Amino acid sequence: MDEKKKAVRAYHRNVGIVIGLILLVFLIIPVFVKSPYILNIFVLVFYISTLSMAWNLLGGMTGQNSLGHAAYMGLGAYASCLLITNTGANPWVAAIFGMIVVGLVAGVIFYPCFILRGPYFTLVSIAFGEALRQFIINSSFFGRASGIGLPFGKDSWLDFRFGSKVPYYYVGLVMVILIYLLMKKIERSRMGYALRTIREDEDAAAAMGINPTRYKIMAVVVSAMVAALVGFYYACYIRYIDPELMIQAKSTESVLPAVVGGAAYVEGPLVGGLLMIPLSEFLRAKYSAMLPGINMLLYAIVLLIVIRFRPSGILGWYMHSRVKTFIDTKILRKPSVEILEEVEFSVSHGRKEA
Amino acid sequence: MADTPIIEVKHITKRFKGLTAVKDVSFSIREGGITGMIGPNGAGKSTTFNMICGYYPPTEGQIFFRGKDITNKKAYEYTKMKIARTFQIMKPLKNLSVLENVAASTYFGHDPARNERDAKERALELLEFTGLYDKRHVLAKDMGTPDQKRLEMARALGTKPELLFLDENMAGLNPAETEEAIRLIRRINESGVTIFLIEHIMQAVVSLCEEVIVLHHGEKIAEGTPSVVMNDPNVMEVYLGKKEGSHA
Amino acid sequence: MSTFLQACVNGLLMGGFYSLMGMGQNVIFGAMKIVNFCHGEMLMVGMYLTWLLHQNFGLDPYACVPIVAVIMFFLGAVIQFTLITPALETKSFTNLLFLTVGLGLLLSNGALVLFGSEYRTISTSYSMTYINMGPVTMALPRLISFGVLLVVSVALFVFLKYSTVGKQIRAVSQNPVGAEVVGINTKRIYVLTYGLGVALAGVAGALLTGFYTIFPTAGASFGFRALIVVVVGGLGSIPGAFFAGIFLGLLETMVALFVSPSYSDLIVFVTFIVILVVRQLIVIRRK
Repeated sequence: MDEKKKAVRAYHRNVGIVIGLILLVFLIIPVFVKSPYILNIFVLVFYISTLSMAWNLLGGMTGQNSLGHAAYMGLGAYASCLLITNTGANPWVAAIFGMIVVGLVAGVIFYPCFILRGPYFTLVSIAFGEALRQFIINSSFFGRASGIGLPFGKDSWLDFRFGSKVPYYYVGLVMVILIYLLMKKIERSRMGYALRTIREDEDAAAAMGINPTRYKIMAVVVSAMVAALVGFYYACYIRYIDPELMIQAKSTESVLPAVVGGAAYVEGPLVGGLLMIPLSEFLRAKYSAMLPGINMLLYAIVLLIVIRFRPSGILGWYMHSRVKTFIDTKILRKPSVEILEEVEFSVSHGRKEA
Repeated sequence: MADTPIIEVKHITKRFKGLTAVKDVSFSIREGGITGMIGPNGAGKSTTFNMICGYYPPTEGQIFFRGKDITNKKAYEYTKMKIARTFQIMKPLKNLSVLENVAASTYFGHDPARNERDAKERALELLEFTGLYDKRHVLAKDMGTPDQKRLEMARALGTKPELLFLDENMAGLNPAETEEAIRLIRRINESGVTIFLIEHIMQAVVSLCEEVIVLHHGEKIAEGTPSVVMNDPNVMEVYLGKKEGSHA
Repeated sequence: MSTFLQACVNGLLMGGFYSLMGMGQNVIFGAMKIVNFCHGEMLMVGMYLTWLLHQNFGLDPYACVPIVAVIMFFLGAVIQFTLITPALETKSFTNLLFLTVGLGLLLSNGALVLFGSEYRTISTSYSMTYINMGPVTMALPRLISFGVLLVVSVALFVFLKYSTVGKQIRAVSQNPVGAEVVGINTKRIYVLTYGLGVALAGVAGALLTGFYTIFPTAGASFGFRALIVVVVGGLGSIPGAFFAGIFLGLLETMVALFVSPSYSDLIVFVTFIVILVVRQLIVIRRK
């Protein structure tokens, strides 16, 4: 028993070391990388991956494929920007305000849409997003089609305003990590199990005692609030927002990292985002003058290849690959599942009879 | 307490657009026992079952659980009342492992698991009990019918029910598998769970149930112990008639 | 009064396109129960094909219609055979959703790479010809297009109702397993159906070029409206799709006339949400 415990402890320590190393790399990147171009790519990776994680809570985990998440992000950006420009509120307060507004919109106005299932849910999510965008275009309070800008000024943490990209890099990194931990927490909680049960079968969920509508609303509210947070971050980074932020193509873009990475996994959007966004940005920078759209074209091709040959995404492939076996046994020294279970759980095979 | 039946069904009727599927059916289920409901195809078994499970409400009539009216309770309120069900057409959570399937259900009901570790421990215990322990890491969609049927039961037990509804849990099983299923149902009953089942297979009903209710054309035509019911002239007519029909 | 009549006619002429798009989407949804999220992009491809034929061979846009239809049919058939049929076998709605979304991205960005983002038009000798009928003025290309799409709609209806292949398509739509049992090769029907649906979108695109600008995202608004038409007109119903398309065209012009042109999109989307939700409420109530 002690041997096994030791092995499990060693394994956990190895995992910790690997995670620590990855974190360390991300922490010191800005120390060595001074190019604003590259830092900008990291910022994009951080906020698009976060948005994709938000989508994945509703899409990948709950099976409700929304194609209107850009609208939540945009509305969050608008709500926080309008509070800042109209009342001079502190941006960090405005961020919370934006999240609450979007959470309410998602939970109250979007609520009736949850009686729709499958493709109809996707349709209504597109229509809802587009309706929000049209509403903003037609409202002078929202600045119509010309959008609104945030005041410029000297660098300040209080106003979340910097000339350099480095502070945005670190805030983005913290955002990605916090949202990842939140999603991981949800996945393991009662809510996470309820959402996955709903994804697989709503009747089975109801028979277990899950109120499907209630949990779907919880999912959409959390998801929309995270999207709103991303919207706030984006607005403070770019310092200007307009309704283009909410077009349907942006919603689709927010979904791609999750689907390419593996929508069934909380890590999927991170893996997809980390691989696809730098590639896409590189192509954009290099070729878009001659061939506009080349980056999204490549993105589309990768998406089609993944769906055709690896429907469960890159992570879905990795989970059953030899690479994983190699990493698990040689690098992490992962003990067998039986040993892990024996150490973790007080229940084991044959114990009842014994 | 022992005198109040755990479930009392009073004059329930279900009409679908002019078609009366169940007509004025009343019966009760004794606490602690195994009660069965049989009847030929289209007799209204599943409709009755679905009404008692809150899947849809009856058009008329009432359903009581331990004396409390539960006629209009929603399906998802049942496990809180310590009632669980299985589905005739199995509904495994296909892309989750067997362990996760059962762990999910232990998170709900009247005494839900507190955290993932607790949920998984309870699930492992149930998998041991239902004989699925060795398949705990298999995805539910990769299992055969007999194992999926067991999984349905294990998942229902995850909510710690005191009353379990089994919807044709032995349909599609071969005799050996049926035998095993009967043993499992009996063990569940011995652990203190009242069981109400609907079934096609006579053998299973006769060997398991203390009380049998027979439905035909949406009406109750007989009830009593298996031997009483088997010798009931109405029941013989229905089953012999059906037999002749199928041979013709 | 004359502005009202003019709006009615404009709505009718535009609505015809929504009908045609909706019918194509409906054939596909009917047979395979999948939403073709790249339907609008198929229309855009039809537009560029027409433009290419016009630029390179000097063909009249209306002469291009049958050629575009054939090319689009084969494009659709190939896509169905190589991508959609295998994805259908996974039985995952999510996969199919992102497959068609991905195809849409591929097509619109492919067009962007090939043709750039410039707006292109096809001008013919009759582009600027207008016809006066009482108080109403109509551009000749719009009128011809409407005439052609009426013919196409009727032909489609007759084809599905009376031809053998049409009957097979309807059989697969109603019960794929049953159709397989009576000896219909459902995979072949899927290929034909998707080809047909895509060809209809291509025809709509070709017919639009006479008076509409051509650009890589030109199809998006038509694509979404096709979905509205399918939902409002009823799944599998060709006449339903036809009338729903006309209704949608009229709704848009009426909102533009009585409220404000800039609100027409907002009202279309809100109406759609309300229809979806109310329809589902009725379905649930009936149960």
